[in-house]
Amino acid sequence: MTPPPGQESALALPAPGLRHEDEDRSADRSRVHRARQGRRRWLLLWLLVGPGILAMLGENDGPSMISYATTGATYGLGTFLPFTVLTFAMAIVCQEMVMRIGAVTHRGYGQLVLERFGRVWGWFNAGDLVLTNLVTLVAEFVAIRVGLAYFHMSAGLAAALGIVLVVCTISGGRYWRWERIVLGLAAFNGLFLLAALLSHPRWSAVGHAFITASPLPHGSLNMLLLLVASTVGATVTPWMIFFQQSASADKGLTPDDLSHGRWDTIVGGALAALFGCGAMIAGAVLATHGGASIQGLAGAGFPAALARSSGGTVATLFALGLIESGAVAILTISASTGYAAAECIGAPHSMNYSARSAVVFYGVNVGAAAIAAAIILIPGAPLLSIALNANVLATVLLPVALVFVIMLVNDRQLMGSFVNGRRHNVVAVLIAAFVGLSGAAYAIDAFLRTAHVI
Amino acid sequence: MYQRDEVLPNYLEADQLAAETSRPVPRARLGRRAVVGLWALRVLVVILSAMVVYVFVSQLGP
Repeated sequence: MTPPPGQESALALPAPGLRHEDEDRSADRSRVHRARQGRRRWLLLWLLVGPGILAMLGENDGPSMISYATTGATYGLGTFLPFTVLTFAMAIVCQEMVMRIGAVTHRGYGQLVLERFGRVWGWFNAGDLVLTNLVTLVAEFVAIRVGLAYFHMSAGLAAALGIVLVVCTISGGRYWRWERIVLGLAAFNGLFLLAALLSHPRWSAVGHAFITASPLPHGSLNMLLLLVASTVGATVTPWMIFFQQSASADKGLTPDDLSHGRWDTIVGGALAALFGCGAMIAGAVLATHGGASIQGLAGAGFPAALARSSGGTVATLFALGLIESGAVAILTISASTGYAAAECIGAPHSMNYSARSAVVFYGVNVGAAAIAAAIILIPGAPLLSIALNANVLATVLLPVALVFVIMLVNDRQLMGSFVNGRRHNVVAVLIAAFVGLSGAAYAIDAFLRTAHVI
Repeated sequence: MYQRDEVLPNYLEADQLAAETSRPVPRARLGRRAVVGLWALRVLVVILSAMVVYVFVSQLGP
């Protein structure tokens, strides 16, 4: 399907029948071509990064950061710190595969599963995505609401902020513009690292945790399984798979760009791990204060608890970080929902289209965010439970998506010489099995306890 | 498909054009084992999801 690396096929040839989407993408690719010809390495990297960093920092979302901070507050600094880094290493392996599929086939994940394996599997995958995305989007609005509540701002403002952001960012009609705006916002995920630095953690304990992966967590098995499942769900999720493959294709990546795509994914994963550990270290300060005050999540519990233990600056940074992480995730997750829905029904699905030319893509994009925003405005809605269960549901549904990724990336008819090697496959299968076991262990244990069987 | 008056240079690969990517890829032929495995995984995931939803709903109680 694609020429071997190093042989760009149609460079600068006149093409009379380009669609609008092609023209915009071709304009972006012309800059990549010039940077590559002029051997301007840093400019080339700047032009080609985006989908990987956005997928990784987008997954450092509201519920994930709350989950990391909860883990820190519950268990202090110990096994979960290196475990978080390990889960991001797993995410890098998974996301590199979908980036490669997108760059080689130029098709999104939803479209490829539907066409290659049939409508049943295509719609099952899209259904899983829409379900987890809606739940996760609600959790993102909860995160914004928690952050704003610290500054005494209302839930209505949180809902409006999310919707306005989605509408403003997609109104440009260019993938490049959308990507750069969201990347700019995602840079503020570093606020969690700043919060960790200012909370004056015991660095010897941080170093000890990384080197020895101890002390081991204590407490109930169910709580431990919940935190393992939600930590896994905080780093590898179905929407990331849909998003990075579709965005790589929409950006116009080709097999020539694979090494830059890998750096994009690795840098994104490293930054996300760093900032995620920052949230955990900031939260760990609460472990010595009993961690009890974090329970009032719906009432801005975390920032308020941090204000008491670490001071107003750390609390403000944490609250701003929650607003940022929720906002970026709303943009990327609603985009992945739009990509999936439009790909599955064969409608135009590119940020390079105008709103009028891609009604389904943009409609689902805004609609998903609007539904989630409406839910957080319902009086008495179980926002805390939704936020805590969003990552677990994603973990439970992820193995199916990972199995299809592994099947697609090993499909020689689609991928040619870009299929996985044997070692890569062994690692990918182990990751899928680990994710499946994590989700299943929590689901079965929690179900049996709730049903009073054990 | 709309055309411009002037002829634009194209920096896209041939299989990257929208007209090409909207053409479906051929359907894969899955073996019996693969189909059974996929359905088993699907059923397992549905059961586990139902368990998570049950736990979630139970947590909402008084």
